[in-house]
Amino acid sequence: MSTTRHLVNRQRRLATVAAERATVPVRRPATPDTSADETARSRDAKDTTTDDEGTDDAGSIGGQEKTAPDGERPSRLRVRLPAVLCALTVLLGTFAAWAFTSAGSLRDDPTRQNTALTDIARTSEVKGQISDAVGAVFSYNYAAPGNSEEAARTHLVGKAVQQHKDMLAQVRAQGQKQKLVLTTTVTDSGVELLDGDRARLLIFADQSNTRTGKSDETTYAAAMFAVDAVRRDDTWRIAAIDTFTR
Amino acid sequence: MARVRMTGNALTTAAVVLAVAAAGAAAWGGVSWYDAAQDESAAYAQSRDEALAAGEQAVQNMNTLDHRKLAKGLDSWEDSTTGELHRQLVDGRSAFAKQIQQAKTVSTAQILSGAVTELDDRAGQAGVMVALRVTVTAPKGKPAVKESRMLGKLTRTSEGWKLSALGQAPVGNTAG
Repeated sequence: MSTTRHLVNRQRRLATVAAERATVPVRRPATPDTSADETARSRDAKDTTTDDEGTDDAGSIGGQEKTAPDGERPSRLRVRLPAVLCALTVLLGTFAAWAFTSAGSLRDDPTRQNTALTDIARTSEVKGQISDAVGAVFSYNYAAPGNSEEAARTHLVGKAVQQHKDMLAQVRAQGQKQKLVLTTTVTDSGVELLDGDRARLLIFADQSNTRTGKSDETTYAAAMFAVDAVRRDDTWRIAAIDTFTR
Repeated sequence: MARVRMTGNALTTAAVVLAVAAAGAAAWGGVSWYDAAQDESAAYAQSRDEALAAGEQAVQNMNTLDHRKLAKGLDSWEDSTTGELHRQLVDGRSAFAKQIQQAKTVSTAQILSGAVTELDDRAGQAGVMVALRVTVTAPKGKPAVKESRMLGKLTRTSEGWKLSALGQAPVGNTAG
């Protein structure tokens, strides 16, 4: 409180001095009328100054008026430093908040979340393991029907288990009688999405279906489908098969 | 006076602590943001997605043709390609146009799925595989629907990624 009042008083005092200085050169050459006017005005200014100082003295603790000129600088610093620091805190805090939000939104970008091809090791790992898994679960040999069931248990998980059962139902039903040998080979595979332990791959595969009986007969078929894969215990398994049926 | 000064010091100390904490957070945030912004694999991922989008669009264009809008369709073929494939299309354009005008077919394609198989960001080369369903409608008879497995090579041009090679994935020569 008193600091502000001191400041105001000081400014007024300075203003008065300035006014007096301004009047001095005017006094002599000017007409008596104007000079009187000027003096009156400067006196008025003086009066108010004394008045204000009086009230200030009354309001403040004794002796403060004396210490004021010396005490002014540190006290101003005391007030200014925390204010500057507060402003700095707000500015730095705002920047930090912006930086974290910005970095977060950059990292959450779906393009970055998808590490297909960018993570070379993982990409080739999932491609290799899923290609092998597709080959194993979509192959059947009438001589060893247990192999395909074993492969299904190893490589399939979740929804894919039932999907695979439905797809191979016909082959399994007629396999023994017709002596079927179904071989699936993945010819092309591409990772559409790779995000941690989830992936989606597009698979092009060749299927050869051989009936070994009185006359051997082999048919070739082209297959294309997408698989959803999940990684568990360092092994990629097929979680769903999408054959693009309408 | 002493009490006032102490409060002032405490205030200053608190302000200093807060400002230092804020500076620390700002530095951490700045590093985190810089790391995220300068991530090289992010640029690579960006190229991958651009190549895939361009590749899928180009493959779709190449499987879409309406005999009633032949010029527009063939222009879009030429716009989607570059290099040797582009030259072949330009050279064979008039003969092919005649063929389609006689057959009066309308082909439409639907992309089922697509993936980038390889990407050389520096060389501007990429490989894509696209699963699509093509419907061909002739003046007579039911529309024929077939599924198509396409393999394409993309080359980056000043106008973006374009197909430099395109073909069906071969069947029957690897299995068995």
